[in-house]
Amino acid sequence: MSETTVRIQKICRDTVKTRLIIFGTLALLLVACSLFAEHLCPYDPYLQDLSNAKAAPSAEHIFGTDRYGRDMLSRVIVGSRTSIFSTLLLVAIITVIGTVIGVFCGWHGKWIDTVLMRISDMFLAFPGLVFALAVAGVLGGGLQNAIIALAAISWPKYARIARSQTLAQKETTYLKAAKLAGDSTAKIIFKHILPNIIGPILVTSMLDIGTMMMELAGLSFLGLGAKPPIAEWGSMMSDTRSLLTTVPWVTFAPGLAIFISVMVFNLLGDTIRDYADPKSRGR
Amino acid sequence: MKKALSLLLALCLMVGLLAGCGSSQTQNSDAEAAVTKKTMVIGDTTFNPENAEPDVNPHNDYAGWACIRYGVGETLFKLNDEMALTPWLAKEWENVDELTWVITLQDGVKFSSGRDMDAAAVKQCLEHLLETHDRAPGDLMIDAIEADGQVLTIKTSVPRPALLNYLCDPYGCIIDVDAGFDGGIVAGTGPYIAVDCESGDHLNLVKNENYWNGTPHIDELTIRTISDGNTLAMALQAGEIDAAYGMAYESYPLFQNDQFQFSQIATSRAFFCWMNYESPLASDPAVRKAIAMGIDKEGFVATLLDGNGYPGNGAFPSGFAFGGDKVTTETYDPEGARKVLEDAGWVDTDGDGIREKDGKKLQIKWLTYPSRQELPLLAESAQATLKEIGIAVDINSTADHNSIITDMNAWDVYASANVNASIGDPEYFFTSFCLDSSSKNKGHYHSDAIEELEKQMATEFDPAKRAELALKMQQVILDDNAWVFCSFLKMSMISKANVTRYISHPTDFYQVTVDLDIN
Repeated sequence: MSETTVRIQKICRDTVKTRLIIFGTLALLLVACSLFAEHLCPYDPYLQDLSNAKAAPSAEHIFGTDRYGRDMLSRVIVGSRTSIFSTLLLVAIITVIGTVIGVFCGWHGKWIDTVLMRISDMFLAFPGLVFALAVAGVLGGGLQNAIIALAAISWPKYARIARSQTLAQKETTYLKAAKLAGDSTAKIIFKHILPNIIGPILVTSMLDIGTMMMELAGLSFLGLGAKPPIAEWGSMMSDTRSLLTTVPWVTFAPGLAIFISVMVFNLLGDTIRDYADPKSRGR
Repeated sequence: MKKALSLLLALCLMVGLLAGCGSSQTQNSDAEAAVTKKTMVIGDTTFNPENAEPDVNPHNDYAGWACIRYGVGETLFKLNDEMALTPWLAKEWENVDELTWVITLQDGVKFSSGRDMDAAAVKQCLEHLLETHDRAPGDLMIDAIEADGQVLTIKTSVPRPALLNYLCDPYGCIIDVDAGFDGGIVAGTGPYIAVDCESGDHLNLVKNENYWNGTPHIDELTIRTISDGNTLAMALQAGEIDAAYGMAYESYPLFQNDQFQFSQIATSRAFFCWMNYESPLASDPAVRKAIAMGIDKEGFVATLLDGNGYPGNGAFPSGFAFGGDKVTTETYDPEGARKVLEDAGWVDTDGDGIREKDGKKLQIKWLTYPSRQELPLLAESAQATLKEIGIAVDINSTADHNSIITDMNAWDVYASANVNASIGDPEYFFTSFCLDSSSKNKGHYHSDAIEELEKQMATEFDPAKRAELALKMQQVILDDNAWVFCSFLKMSMISKANVTRYISHPTDFYQVTVDLDIN
């Protein structure tokens, strides 16, 4: 390997590392912002002040106020807790459920594998958001039901990845050795299989955060997510869309928050993927 | 073989070319016809099942409003701009005795089915109305109808001083029953004929060439149901519709320019809250009183209605002899509301800001619907102000409110919009909403005083005494806080500058008339 190639690889690796640090920090900042939202808000995000309704952005109210006179910046900050935490919870749920089902199918095989995979095929056959709309419609509005609806349609992807990875691991020599050594199924799964398959699953879930955030905001925008007065970016955009042409800042603020968050989490996901996959570093 | 294929292809091309020419000729002739035809599209947020207006059959719930609004049907009497009674399909009338009314009908009026409108047809229509409608029998109290040429004699079972006003209600549109009700379409006497109706989507009308009271100007009129206020605003901006009814006040600035015009008028359409007397929370007088004291009506009107209304006091706005500040009710008083709740034993024991009593949280279910754009705003405004006094509000704003309201466990407070003096007489409100027998008494309110006063009003012919009784009755329901009247609306209809005579009326249901035109 020439010196130049080694240098390029080093630079690339360093670039990925730098990106990882930057986007990781930004993502952590967003999570920290949502964690300490109440302390960061300049005003009570739920306090109405009708005498100060639809105030334009100013030094006092950086993002202006909505039709009820509520400070938009405070609502966006508090909305980050609902939007980001709900998204992280949703991604965690689908990752765990999908992985458990996938590992179980891959390990057990036979008819259970066939049945569960056909069920996952059925879920994958529906257009995602339309199916989520139907589920949320049946369960009724509310953030909790929106999370259930999206979880119901999103787990098969993880089950597929976990299953294929488990099948690949099952054929490896070290696993056969572990079996011969008399390790229990639980020990094999938790000690040998999961640590070896968790990488691609985590990368997928990181890449999914942005998508899930958008889908959750989409359901809320359609009135099937957060209910008033809860500040959630999607529902905030929906509530204020009639003001888009006359008081644009009330829609702009939550829109900008969604844009930044989705972009940060998507870029972080991409970077983690690059970091975890040495082949893509040089690309 | 190749030659044959080439010939076939050439033939296909020629046929295609000819067909293309033919098509363009047809389009040209269509275009010419369109130039000579006057068409107009009106967007409406409320012409849908959600607002009990699924079609234009006046004998179906509130669909009579659509029937009269869009110029399909007409009533025997109408209300003028001052809300005074005037004849319409009737020519004259006589109150022979307390129970007997003789009405002479206009001559030369035909239904769009071609049938003459005579007393027999009107009798048939009213009898069908009494058989099928939920409110009409209790309102009209008709015992017998006799028809003789153009003379209709109505006998009521009890004295009915407001009979003629009740006949102004849109359910009183006179239609040809023999023409049927297919697809919710009826044959009326109005300037326009309904030809196609798809519930919740559109209504197509054509002009009635044989209209008895003038010549309609629009050849084809389409009513498009656009329940979403934003879509309605965009449709009017984009020129997809020529006029709009039910525009959100927030969108008004978009149309305050030379390209559009407003027709605005004060109406008795109230945004008001109904209390559920079957609910363990709303049946508590202290909770009802606190809710009445906890709603900031002034702020709602000034800010959320952008000043396009008036804070409500009683059931009727000022301007009526029986309305305005002639009755008294609770005013916005958060401190007073807190005291009322505390005195009644509602205290916040766990420090979460919401009061409890006997282990039950003061968390009310607020039912409303979004097609009246400002009702969800009222809900969210009340949610914030009631929270200040320790009442949590769960809002359910849904198009399905008409079915949910029948489940007494599904709501504590229901906020809706209604034109309370739509017939120019106060009795309509009480008979519709407040009596044990009222079809719209969804909260199961009962008051001995109201039942007794209504008996007096039902037989009182003197307008001054009727107004006095109406004030007494309002005071009873206001003292009970059975309803909270938040605001009355200024109604606006917005149209393009080239539309003429698209004018608002205080009743909110005379909209498309023979004079409507577009240039």
